[in-house]
Amino acid sequence: MKKDKKNTFNTPEGYFENFNDRLMDKIKAEEAHENDGIIPKTDGFTLPDGYFDKVESNILSKTSEKETKIVPLGTNRYLLYTGVAAIAAIFILIFSITGNPTSDPITFDDLANAEIEAYLENTELEMTSYEIAEVVSLEEVELNDILVDDLEESIIMEYLDENVDDIEELNLEDLDYE
Amino acid sequence: MIAEETLVQELQKEESRAKAFEVLVNTYKERLYWHIRRIVLDHDDTDDVLQNTFIKVYRNIEKFKGDSKLYSWMYRIATNESLTFLKQKSKKLGLSDQELKERMVENLQADVYFEGDEIQLKLQKALATLPDKQKLVFTMKYFQEMKYKDISEALETSEGALKASYHLAVKKIETYLKEN
Repeated sequence: MKKDKKNTFNTPEGYFENFNDRLMDKIKAEEAHENDGIIPKTDGFTLPDGYFDKVESNILSKTSEKETKIVPLGTNRYLLYTGVAAIAAIFILIFSITGNPTSDPITFDDLANAEIEAYLENTELEMTSYEIAEVVSLEEVELNDILVDDLEESIIMEYLDENVDDIEELNLEDLDYE
Repeated sequence: MIAEETLVQELQKEESRAKAFEVLVNTYKERLYWHIRRIVLDHDDTDDVLQNTFIKVYRNIEKFKGDSKLYSWMYRIATNESLTFLKQKSKKLGLSDQELKERMVENLQADVYFEGDEIQLKLQKALATLPDKQKLVFTMKYFQEMKYKDISEALETSEGALKASYHLAVKKIETYLKEN
């Protein structure tokens, strides 16, 4: 068309010759930016100078402390006699307790629930859910045997939906997502 | 570097234990330090936990059966020691686990051994919102550049589950950084 032939627009000199190079540079720059990601590469922690030399000698001095000497029992007559006396004392104590017909033996049931709860609450059990699962066999126990009130399925689903954001907590094995 | 198997044998024999333990401390102190530091954040706390970790290793080396690598066994001890330390700390201060995590990040701003800029501080805030396992997997993979196989041994979790955890952690951190 006539109009196209009479082009009034102009381009800088060598524009089309350089176009490919400039385009490739831009693509490379954008790719680099994408790989960069939003998460920083380092986390900014530092430590005192010469720390690693010092910590080594600290650890080694603690582990090289001599262990407590063990005195063999048989070589000391005094210890032997006190040992015999102590065993005799224990027997006398046991007979005197069991011999009394009015006193009932203390059983696990005598522990108040509050005391058991306080113990579990305040003691560091240091067990993972896996370890607890190993100790407490759940094969013959239904969840509702442990709980006072029966759980409706809908409540369980609601709980899982709200609280489980970590797939780990479901103890599922060999989940391969990739 | 001495082969791991030889080192374990030397550690389990009484006559060579002291020397071998020195090699062990020298080889792993830096790696374990950074692993613990990323859990407890404070340098002095890290120093305590690192020393306790090595002392536990020393006392229990005879029980090490060689089912896993010595390296992953030590990581496992370091992880347990760090998490127990944090639990005890929160109990002592009367804080919940989450409150303690938030306070630890706040303290970083005044920490002379933290030179992070604004984005690095934000990253710590994001990490404090993650469940322990996700945070562990993320730092072990992203900052310590460990292989899934080694992380799997150290945390006693299947590789598949670890990959899922890592993926979730990255997603959550990115969302947090974008939104804040």
